Amino acid sequence: MDILIAALQGGLASLASYLAAHVLLCLVPAFFIAGALSALVPQQAITRFLGPEAPKWVSYPAAAGAGSLLAVCSCTIQPLFAGIYKKGAGLGPAITFLFFAPAGNILALSYTGVALGADFAIARIVLALSFGIGIGMIMAMLFRRDEAGRQGDARAFVEDAKVPGRTLLFVATLVALLIAGTLKVDWLAAPLWQGTLAWPGAVDAQAALDRWVPADAATGAEGLSLQGVGLIALLGLIGAAAWRGLGQVDTAVSRLTWVTLALTVLTLAAAALGLRVTGDGLAVTLTGRTLAVPLLCAALLPQTRRFDAWDMQQWLWETWRFVKMIFPLLVVGVFLVGVIRIFIRPEWIQAVAGANTLLANLAGVVFGVFMYFPTLVEVPIARMFLSLGMHPGPLIAYLMADPELSLQSILITAAIIGKLKAWTYVGLVALFSTAAGLTYGAWVDGTSVWLLAAAVAGFVGLLVGTLQIIERRKAC
Amino acid sequence: MLIKILGTGCAKCNRLEQLTREVVAELGIAAEFAHIREMDRIMEYPIMTTPALVVDEVVKVAGRIPRKDEIAGWLRGG
Repeated sequence: MDILIAALQGGLASLASYLAAHVLLCLVPAFFIAGALSALVPQQAITRFLGPEAPKWVSYPAAAGAGSLLAVCSCTIQPLFAGIYKKGAGLGPAITFLFFAPAGNILALSYTGVALGADFAIARIVLALSFGIGIGMIMAMLFRRDEAGRQGDARAFVEDAKVPGRTLLFVATLVALLIAGTLKVDWLAAPLWQGTLAWPGAVDAQAALDRWVPADAATGAEGLSLQGVGLIALLGLIGAAAWRGLGQVDTAVSRLTWVTLALTVLTLAAAALGLRVTGDGLAVTLTGRTLAVPLLCAALLPQTRRFDAWDMQQWLWETWRFVKMIFPLLVVGVFLVGVIRIFIRPEWIQAVAGANTLLANLAGVVFGVFMYFPTLVEVPIARMFLSLGMHPGPLIAYLMADPELSLQSILITAAIIGKLKAWTYVGLVALFSTAAGLTYGAWVDGTSVWLLAAAVAGFVGLLVGTLQIIERRKAC
Repeated sequence: MLIKILGTGCAKCNRLEQLTREVVAELGIAAEFAHIREMDRIMEYPIMTTPALVVDEVVKVAGRIPRKDEIAGWLRGG
């Protein structure tokens, strides 16, 4: 019975501190960005670079760009992947797109940055980009003869569409909001003004919270602050208002829509405020962040007038659609991670993946392939592993393999490009993920960058050489 | 008039069908609807992105949800 209560408490505590700490300043703007990309950027603006006539150095980066800009959910990935493959861009860019999309989209990257640290987010995007293009090129080379037989259909790519300047500015402002809310730099964190809110009960209230949600540095459990409780309450209010305010925004902008947006701005501003419990009440700190977040929100308002009302309604509707699709999965995922954490002993993780060895990296990859987690849930899981003592190298190997490979995505891929190609792809991803983990782990352990660059170049050269030899044998 | 909605059953695709049906009702046109969900048949059209609206075998829009007055224009033969 005790263990059951402990597990439940672990789950709730993990959920509470997750909602209070990670969601607001990173995921809320990220959802709005994802909505804007989906509603305001014409997809043809990017896919026209993928046509059969486009040179390689355009089509591969464009495929990666399409992955990070257009595809935030799997329902967009599947038709786009099939489209890119069947309409002529060919296997290579299609594979690049498939590989990069789950790891390189704005939601995954911003969430990784906040939960695990900016270095993991940067490692994730750099490794995913270079390996995505690498794997795409290897696949294109391996199956070159099949490729020649397929006729490209250039018609799908000619449609001319540009991204309007106002959309770029709008998305840039949203990205600035995301960065201002999450980036850990001095001038944003520097206190500008400090004051005290008299509230004698504050100490007792915080003590009660600490009892319910104990912080434990050893297992990475974060406590829950008074500010966090307020933010969770505000999130609940936003959810209640958004259900009709954003859910039905495509028929009309109602008063509830404005209530939802005002509450969102208020919540973001409150999250950017520094609050600390002292002897006589709450110490309030205004920082650069506290100013930057509301200012950027205010900068959005005049920009919305430059769009059609319909475009703005679409933007809010898409944003809410992403929230409804991804948020419940995240909540359940984070809760379960909290439950599981109670049962896992740090020694187990340290024994399997505590050091940057080949075996440890392979374990990370295998775990990533066989465990299927919904979009973004890989991040809290990675966070749990990290706090339990997993080495950063195997962690990156896991982060590379998990979103790219799951039984479901393997089946979809196989249906579109055939079994042989799909399994070759799986093998390559496993190989590359392991290499990525080993490289990043060695870098964290202090190996020099030049040595690592040489090792990676050698690895890729060996791979390409082997493939060439195999190809030539087949030709004879 | 034959109206085809191309889409794999995503939220946007259903929304496009709903909007188009509303426009057809408002204009009082006689139209037959088909919602194409199979990837292979969608790919027979020169589009890369769903949802797409096809009126009498001509692709009118792909990859976004059009405004109702845009749809009305296409259905009137514009």
